[in-house]
Amino acid sequence: MKLLAGFVLIVLLAPAIAPYEPGRQFPGYQYAPPMPPRLLDAERVHAPFAYALHAVDPIERRYAEDRSRRVNSFAGDAPWFLLGSDAFGRDVLSRVLIGARLSLGIALLSTLFALILGAGIGAAAAHAGGWIDALLMRLADFVIVLPGIYVVLALRGALPLVLSTSQVFAAMVAVLSLVGWPTVARGVRGILIIERQSEYAEAARAVGASAWRLIGRHLLPATRGFLSAQATLLVPAFVMAEATLSFVGLGFAPPTPSWGAMLHDAGAVQIAADAPWLLAPAGAVVLTVFLVHASADRSEPSSAPIFRNQVL
Amino acid sequence: MGFLLRRGLAALLLVFAVASGALLLAQLAPGDYAAQFGKTPAQIAADRHRLGLDRPFGQQYAAWLKRSLTLDLGESFQYDQPVAALVRARAANTAVLAVTALIVATAVGIPWGVVTGSRNGAIARMLRALSLLVLSVPPLISSLALLTIAARTGWFPVSGMGGPRHLVVPTLALALPIAAMLERLQSQSIGDALDRPSTTAARARGIPESRVIWRHGWRQSLAPVLAVYGVIVGSLFSGSFAVEIVTSWPGLGLLMQQALMTRDTNLVAGCAVAGAAFLAAGILASDIMLAVTDPRMGIESMS
Amino acid sequence: MARHSRCALTIAAILFAGACNRGNEPAAPVSTGSARGGALTASIRSEPATFNRFAPNGNQAPVEAVSMLVHAPLVRINRVTGEPEPWLAERWSVSPDGRTFTLVLRGGVTFSDGTPFTSADVAFTFQALYDPTVESSLASGVMVQGKPLQVSTPDPRTVVITMPAPFAPGVAMLDNVPILPKHQLQAALDAKTFAKAWGITTPPGTMAGLGPFVISEYVAGQRMTLTRNLHYWRKDTAGTQLPYLDRLVMEFVSGGQDAEMLRLQAGSVDLMTQADVRPEDIAALRRLRDQGSVQLMEAGIGVDPNTLWFNLTPGNAAVKAKPYLQRAEFRRAISFAIDRDAIANTVYLGAAVPVYGPITPGNKTWYSPSAPTFPHDIARARSLLAGIGLSDRNGDGMLDDATGKPVGFSILAQRGTIRERTATMIQEQLRQIGIAVAVAALDVPALFGRFGAGDYESIYHGFQASALDPAMNLDLWLSGGSAHVWNTGAAAPWEKSMDALMQQQAAAPTLAERQRLLLEAERIFAENLPQIYFVAPRVTVALSRRVGGAVPVLLDPKVLWNADSLFVKH
Repeated sequence: MKLLAGFVLIVLLAPAIAPYEPGRQFPGYQYAPPMPPRLLDAERVHAPFAYALHAVDPIERRYAEDRSRRVNSFAGDAPWFLLGSDAFGRDVLSRVLIGARLSLGIALLSTLFALILGAGIGAAAAHAGGWIDALLMRLADFVIVLPGIYVVLALRGALPLVLSTSQVFAAMVAVLSLVGWPTVARGVRGILIIERQSEYAEAARAVGASAWRLIGRHLLPATRGFLSAQATLLVPAFVMAEATLSFVGLGFAPPTPSWGAMLHDAGAVQIAADAPWLLAPAGAVVLTVFLVHASADRSEPSSAPIFRNQVL
Repeated sequence: MGFLLRRGLAALLLVFAVASGALLLAQLAPGDYAAQFGKTPAQIAADRHRLGLDRPFGQQYAAWLKRSLTLDLGESFQYDQPVAALVRARAANTAVLAVTALIVATAVGIPWGVVTGSRNGAIARMLRALSLLVLSVPPLISSLALLTIAARTGWFPVSGMGGPRHLVVPTLALALPIAAMLERLQSQSIGDALDRPSTTAARARGIPESRVIWRHGWRQSLAPVLAVYGVIVGSLFSGSFAVEIVTSWPGLGLLMQQALMTRDTNLVAGCAVAGAAFLAAGILASDIMLAVTDPRMGIESMS
Repeated sequence: MARHSRCALTIAAILFAGACNRGNEPAAPVSTGSARGGALTASIRSEPATFNRFAPNGNQAPVEAVSMLVHAPLVRINRVTGEPEPWLAERWSVSPDGRTFTLVLRGGVTFSDGTPFTSADVAFTFQALYDPTVESSLASGVMVQGKPLQVSTPDPRTVVITMPAPFAPGVAMLDNVPILPKHQLQAALDAKTFAKAWGITTPPGTMAGLGPFVISEYVAGQRMTLTRNLHYWRKDTAGTQLPYLDRLVMEFVSGGQDAEMLRLQAGSVDLMTQADVRPEDIAALRRLRDQGSVQLMEAGIGVDPNTLWFNLTPGNAAVKAKPYLQRAEFRRAISFAIDRDAIANTVYLGAAVPVYGPITPGNKTWYSPSAPTFPHDIARARSLLAGIGLSDRNGDGMLDDATGKPVGFSILAQRGTIRERTATMIQEQLRQIGIAVAVAALDVPALFGRFGAGDYESIYHGFQASALDPAMNLDLWLSGGSAHVWNTGAAAPWEKSMDALMQQQAAAPTLAERQRLLLEAERIFAENLPQIYFVAPRVTVALSRRVGGAVPVLLDPKVLWNADSLFVKH
């Protein structure tokens, strides 16, 4: 949990931490490799620095270190690419940091809304039963089956041509939440129907617990495992979905960085093999998912909060 | 029987609803098939008229509806072929890929999940981490990685459809993320199931642990997994979309993308119908499986 | 008396010889001995929608590529020299007024099914081409000033073609017309079902053609196999019948250029039909070339560069709020402000050259070094902008117009392509002189949707060239042409002047005169700059090492245009 909080803090502080502006292009430095910090030069210790790069062959994207020039800050003309540079000579680290706010924000917020919406609808369906249940589940089926791409294409046509970053953000969260809830709803409904019939639920009803109390205190905790599993599935899926959405037209306008778009550009096999630092957002995604999972996971199969509740 | 009938009807309605939705959305999307660069406005207008795109949407939809009731899905603008024939051929290819991937994913993912969910040793932790890794790597990257490996080593063909060897790369690309997804679900679910008092009771009765896990716990853990199995069929379909495009597997996903990119409305609707039929069948199958395997769900509660 | 008549005869003979036989025999490939046999595989990015080049949807790249392999025209433009060469017509003569061409067809030529080829097939082909029920999109490319050619066939081996107006390229226009078999398609034309004939499900062996190959197998979604046409008329210098290849397989590869490149590297395809090599792929290809598995060949500087054009249609709503977009000074300022070398180095990794107009140095006959250029000059750009009232009034570093609103506009570009990347660079460069540019990346139908509705401010896009001669590219220059994209409404006076010049150019009798008129038109173009050109790529073509006899050119299909001379190297 603490790690996740630290991560979130870094993400929020990204504009202050990022070395360069995400849109700044350094001409002549396309696809530059990462320049890791060094301490020793000519057998003397210096403050952390890197050797400047110069391009040996631009079309083959080959660079060589110029050992006579040291770069030790981000303020000079010679760039220091801690994670290399992209096709325009833009610093990858800066773009990953700044892009984190948008991409993570979208992925996490959409996951949250999808979980809430799905759990709510699933619980309502399980509780109400009958035709309401049927209607809600058919609606869920419809949303699952309808190809989302059509929706986005049509939506994009209806929206004005140039959208601000926050408008795109809101639209993406809306689309992804609406795409994500049916799976959650189906699963939650399935679990709740079973749990509803269990002995402790009977006991609670016998004691006179109201429907909401029953659902909230006793039944929904049973879905915790399922919901956390869904969260670990949805977060990376939504990060990539953000790239697909931008491919279909609903994306952030250049040069605004986002992980999905960066990964999409790096997705050419050639580039991935020759310039693997461009896949840094993928590493960031893995880190994110891991942290989310770690804070939401039940670590030991033998802990049993439900079991304990039952006794009380 | 009534259950099957009711759900079958619902599935049919679903397919229609999706196709209608697709048509409406394709109409709303900017641009249409006739409009291309390099044609004079007169040519564009002539093409629109020839394809019937200059009629109001209501008319176009009504015409489509009438035709589709006789299972005539119209003709593709791009290919000048009946849509039904095109879709049928490609759907068969996608089915081959999807079924193979589903079998592989289930065979790998379910046992994987049972192991990580019921044990807590070092191996289980490693397997859990592996699954998390596979899940976190975006499918686009993993399919490209598989393709590069295949291209560099030359062990497997990188494109097209020709024989069982051509199936390897697309199947792996499609099955691995799904196996990981199944593992996650199964793991959580069996963890929950093994916590139940019935499990403790079984252990107390002296049933060996492996049987407790595989017979007792697993059966009880199936409900949430099966509930989303139908949806897994759905993600198989949308995942095959991406995989087909990257590996040039001539299936429905590829066809749909081409139809969408050129706004070939009849073909778009046809692909939506096929996709919806796939998915509705998958969802129906999973609901049936759920009802059959877990009596607590009960057919009545499935409405 | 005898001497006079002999003199007269000699003079007459010289004149007659001069009027005859424009064009030499096409340079037959030099025999390389045991070149015959083998198969090559070409990847192609989309399936043909039909096998009928004349059908309304027959004007797409895959259909054209297949048509070049399976059919033949009367006269072919040699893509290397740009000159027309005899093909199915073995020689032709021109009338003194330059409008009537008498072509003599080659004797002894038969279709791939053995039926003899006669002028009746030519007459039938033109009849189908101009038939209104067919609605062929090819027809507009075979017209002069909007009127069809008149074709008559006095005998089975002679065709007389009359142009409705003088047309300088002359018979070169016939390169666009594949000759179709009358005996197979006449019935369809009579029944008015010609447009649907030879659709994609036509059984492969039933379409006769005069080209080097015949379609022998078609597997939808996967591949198409073409085998040697045993009746092909062309032979190489040693008398070996062409084509050298037994088989040419065309594999449908979707998934973009990455997928094609992957297959080229894996060795499962030998060449790419439509694709040039992208700059980012060159590094990997050079490595493969050094290992010996791939050949890289330069074709020259591209002749169809991307361009940025503004919406100059009078009265369009999108630019009412920004009158400065309609000013030529604004566009000229942009052209001066852009650092073309930076674009060439960043987006094209150095494999591009700056260009300033629609005719690039790759078009050797028609490019002129005296054509107007726009050297990188920020000071001049700023003064041009200040001249139309755009300056930084509030000190925020960005220009404002007279009402105080910030100066800016949007560029539509095709998502995920080099066009989008170039537009991003343009955005960054213009930001530095104070113009705020927004780049909207759309897919092609959405792009065209907005273009068609006139709902855009500027678009950055490119169009494939089908010919090098400007007289065969009039769609760009003439108002109302399909490629005259910046103004789809009433023509401005300068456009009318350009129209007049280009029409003259298309009819002028000598090359020097035509070049002079073209230069005039280019000057008017540069004065008003409806389209801004930045860079043209150096075209590189990648082939597997098995491909022999390839001569890459700058027009598509870059390698398969002389497929009959390709052979397998061992």
